[in-house]
This record gives sequence, C-alpha cells and structure tokens, in this order.
Amino acid sequence: MKMSVLLKKSLVLVAALILAISVVSAHADGKPEKVTVIYGGSSWLGHYPAWVGIEKGLFKKYGLGVLFQNFYASSGRMGSLVAGDLDVASTGSISAIALMASGSKGFMAFGTQDSYATVEGIIAKENTKNIQDLKGKRIAAPFASSSHVLVLDILEQNGIDPDKDLDLVNLKVNEMPAAMGSGEIDACAAWTPHFNKLLNMPGNHMLVNDTEFSLYKKYKLGPGPDLLVVRKEFAEKYPNTCQAFVKGYFEAVDMLINQPEECAKVLVKLTNLSMEDQMTVLKDIAWIKGSEQKNLMVQPGGFVTGMQRLAEFLVRHKQIDSAPDVKRWIAGSMVP
Amino acid sequence: MKVDSTAKSLTISIVSLLIFIGAWELVCRLGFIEPLFMPPPSKILYRAMKLIDNGQLFVHTLASTRRVMVGFVVSSVVAIPFGIFLGSSRFFMAVFDPLISLLRPLPSMSWIPLSLLWLGITETQKYSIVFMGSFAPSLLYIIEATKGIDPLLIRAARNLGASKLDVMREVILPGSLPQIIAGLKVMLGIAWTCIISAELVAAREGLGFMIMNGKEYFQTDTVLLGMVMISITVMIIDVVFRKFERRLLPWTR
Repeated sequence: MKMSVLLKKSLVLVAALILAISVVSAHADGKPEKVTVIYGGSSWLGHYPAWVGIEKGLFKKYGLGVLFQNFYASSGRMGSLVAGDLDVASTGSISAIALMASGSKGFMAFGTQDSYATVEGIIAKENTKNIQDLKGKRIAAPFASSSHVLVLDILEQNGIDPDKDLDLVNLKVNEMPAAMGSGEIDACAAWTPHFNKLLNMPGNHMLVNDTEFSLYKKYKLGPGPDLLVVRKEFAEKYPNTCQAFVKGYFEAVDMLINQPEECAKVLVKLTNLSMEDQMTVLKDIAWIKGSEQKNLMVQPGGFVTGMQRLAEFLVRHKQIDSAPDVKRWIAGSMVP
Repeated sequence: MKVDSTAKSLTISIVSLLIFIGAWELVCRLGFIEPLFMPPPSKILYRAMKLIDNGQLFVHTLASTRRVMVGFVVSSVVAIPFGIFLGSSRFFMAVFDPLISLLRPLPSMSWIPLSLLWLGITETQKYSIVFMGSFAPSLLYIIEATKGIDPLLIRAARNLGASKLDVMREVILPGSLPQIIAGLKVMLGIAWTCIISAELVAAREGLGFMIMNGKEYFQTDTVLLGMVMISITVMIIDVVFRKFERRLLPWTR
C-alpha cells in the first residue's frame, strides 16, 4: 500500500518535471509553450482575421491550433475571458472599458485590427429629414453598444435630451427591421449587416454614420472600436504562444487586405452571407496592419487617447461610474 | 407563549441573516473573491443608496411590479374560472388536456419572438410574457384543486336537490379555494421570474432591464441589487396576499 502511494507520488513528480522542462525548453527555443489557443469570436467583422487565420492555416504555420468559440455579445465574451475560459478575443471596446471600470485586471489589450466608420449609423424614415426631426419620435438602439453611444453623442451634439425630447428604446439590432417595417419606431441605430438591410428597406434613409461621431472627427475613433484582448495570466505564462498568435493574426489581416476574394470564400462559412454581400462588407472595412499597431497602442497614439475620451464619455452619460486609465491595460510586449 | 416563540424565531432569523451578510462582507474584504464575481454587501448597499437618491430604484421597481401584477391578475382571472370548469368536467378536460400539456413546459422566454410579432414593442407585449409564463401552471394548480374535492360531498349535495350552480357555489368553490389561493401564491413567484424575459426587449426601465443592463456594463452590484429587489418585492406582496387570504378564507386561520 505504502509502495503504491510512493510510486504514484514519484510518477506525479516525474510528470511535473517533464512538463516544466518542456515549457522551459519551449520558452527558450521561442516555440509556443501551449499549442492550443481558445479564441472568443462571433460573425462580426472584427473576427474575420481570426477566422481567416484558422481556415487558411496561418496559425498552424507557427505551431498553433486556434479554437474559435462563438459568443452573441461582447459582454459574454469578456466575462468568459476574465473567468479563464478564453485566452484571446476581440471585443467591442465599450465592454472592455466597462470591465476596466469594474476594476478587473484580468485582461490586457494588444491591438485594434479594423475601423469601420461607414457600416454603422442612424437610419430613419423619409419624414425624419435631419437630427432635429427626431424630437418627439421613437428611436431604437441596442443599449450598452456602440450604436447606443453613437445616438447619445449625436443627440448631445445637437442639443437633444434623450430622456425628455424623444423616446429612446432598447432594441436588439436583429429586431429592428421588423419594428421599422411595422412603423413602431421612427429611426434606429444599427451596424452591418442589419445596417445595410435597414438602409435598403423602402422609405428608409441614413441620417448619420460613424464619421459624425465626435471622437471620430478628432481621433478617427468610432463609437465602439474593435479591440484585441488577451487574458493577463495567459500572456504572462505563455509569451511565445502569444507572439505566435500575433504573427498568425496579422498575417491574416494582410491577407484580408491583399486577397479579399480568397478570404471571402472562407468567411461566408462564418457569416452565412452571399459572396456578393460578403465582398460588400469587406470593402467597407479599413484593416489596420501589424506594423501600424505600435503607433496606435503604445505611444500612446490616437487610439488609446480616443479610448480614454470614450471612457469619459460613458461616465458623462452615466453608463459607468468612473473612467479607468486605459493605457494601464495595454500589453506592450504583445503589440506587434 | 405563542408571541414568545414567534419573537424567538424572528430573532434567530435576523441573527443568521446578519452572520451571513457579515461573513460575505469579510470574505470579499479579505480578497478571497474578486469583486467582479461577487461584490461585498456594502457595495450593493452603496449602489442602492445611489439609485434611491436619483429615484431610479423606485422607477425600476414600480415598472416591474406593474408588469407582473397586470400579467398575473389577467392570468388568474382567466385561469380560475377555466380551471374550475375543466376540473369539474371530464369531457372538457380530455379536450383541453393535450393543449395544456403542450403549453405547460414552455419557458416565458420562448414567447418573445411570437409576442413581438403579435403585439409589437408595447407594454402589452411585456404583460403577455408574464401572462404566458404563469397561465398554464396556474391552470394546472386550479384543475388539481377542483379535482381534489371529495366526490361524496358533491353527490350528497345533488341528492339534497342542489342544482349544478349550487354545487359549484356551495361545495366546489369553498372547498377548492384554499388550494387555489396557495397555488396562486406560488404562481406569483413564478410570474416574477418572467420579468427578465419581459424586459429583455424594448424596455428602458424595470428590475429585469436593470439586471441585464448591469450585466452588460459588468456592474455586478447592480445585478445583485436587482435580484435582491425582486426578492424583497415578492416578500412584501406575499405578506399582502396572506392578509387578503385571511379575510377571504377566515375558516383557514
């Protein structure tokens, strides 16, 4: 009996030693210490590079297997990330800022992969010709999203009080076409692909898009820019794995810039869009290369400053209690 | 003697609650749990004070209470006569049983897409979610309560010349009412569980909205405050319900 316990303990010790040696040697070789990365995504355009990287074998080139986990909303994805179920993710920055404001130090940001100023905006019926016409009307936006922020900002710029001058309702983007069609709402704020669908409905027109957002005018920052995030513990424990992921990821970004049609062929599996619609969405995105990340993320560049202003905007509109110091969440070592 | 034992039970309950809250606060303060996952009670209290100060807590609680009460009262008004009718007629029970069996397991959330198509993004849509979430289970409670009446009593009343209406009024209704009321009390709790589903769409007030919006912004204290408010509101309504029950059914005291 005692022998068997001793044997078990010895085996566990040997296994732990082998694991430790392999991690240390992998670290020294520059090879990924961990060969599977769990990525949190969705069919939103911000996740295209991760999907292309997986489908085109770009991560595999660096010895990585990436497991793509789907989430409906950024908040669920970020919750899973800090709970330790995901290693890397892309998120809408409002969720990331809210999580920073909650005091969570469990994640870091290492890049921003795209900007999409023309695929999100406020769409209204014909009789609403300008922003002032929204007074007294019912306008829908998904609360706690970039579209909600866009509406609050545009109303603020035009001196309209969202609590008194109009009826602002909380509606999911996929429920907007039916509500607009039935006349229950007069205007709505949405993002692609529902944005295009709403825009193409007869009698609808675009009032404003993200280019009218106050921070876009100053910092080229949309109301909820995409942000690449990593679990802090993961980044500290597996630096080579993170570097390999970053390399594969930004090669996918390059591929999206240089071979959009090739990428669209694999993206339709994720988005369920037609090839034609997929190409239209791709044309609206400006991808940000790996070589441009340092200027945006580390300097700190316009992106980090813009994010800080966005956090202050959220505080001003009573969405979060206090603005975090955004630059403290930047993982400088992972920025390519 | 009875007063003494009630006071003793109440004291034990209050002390146990205080110990629980104290332990929770201590565990959080010592850093065993990250505040994001479980904020301390003091933080929840601070959030409550802030929302009381700007009036938001009252607005959210009132909105949800209104939605629950309208949905629940309409559901009860329909379910009580229909349930008694089905419970006292084997034929009609056989006719409606398959439909009730189909409706009973459906969660309130599954009614959202249909209710949106039928009623749009209105308050009626929110009432309908509470109604659909509580109707079928209420109906089953009432049917079972009606079926539970001793058939000997019904036969005896009939032999004494009572009409069908008399039997319903004098035997079935008073006999089943205590169980119906007990069932409705349980159903009121279930109606409150529908509030999250009811306030998922096109709501900007209500405890369900407060919880879901708090979740989006990782404000766990707001989420927990919303949950606590639902429990407190249900407890208050339960006390009112008991008083009403004592007046309506004095023989059950």
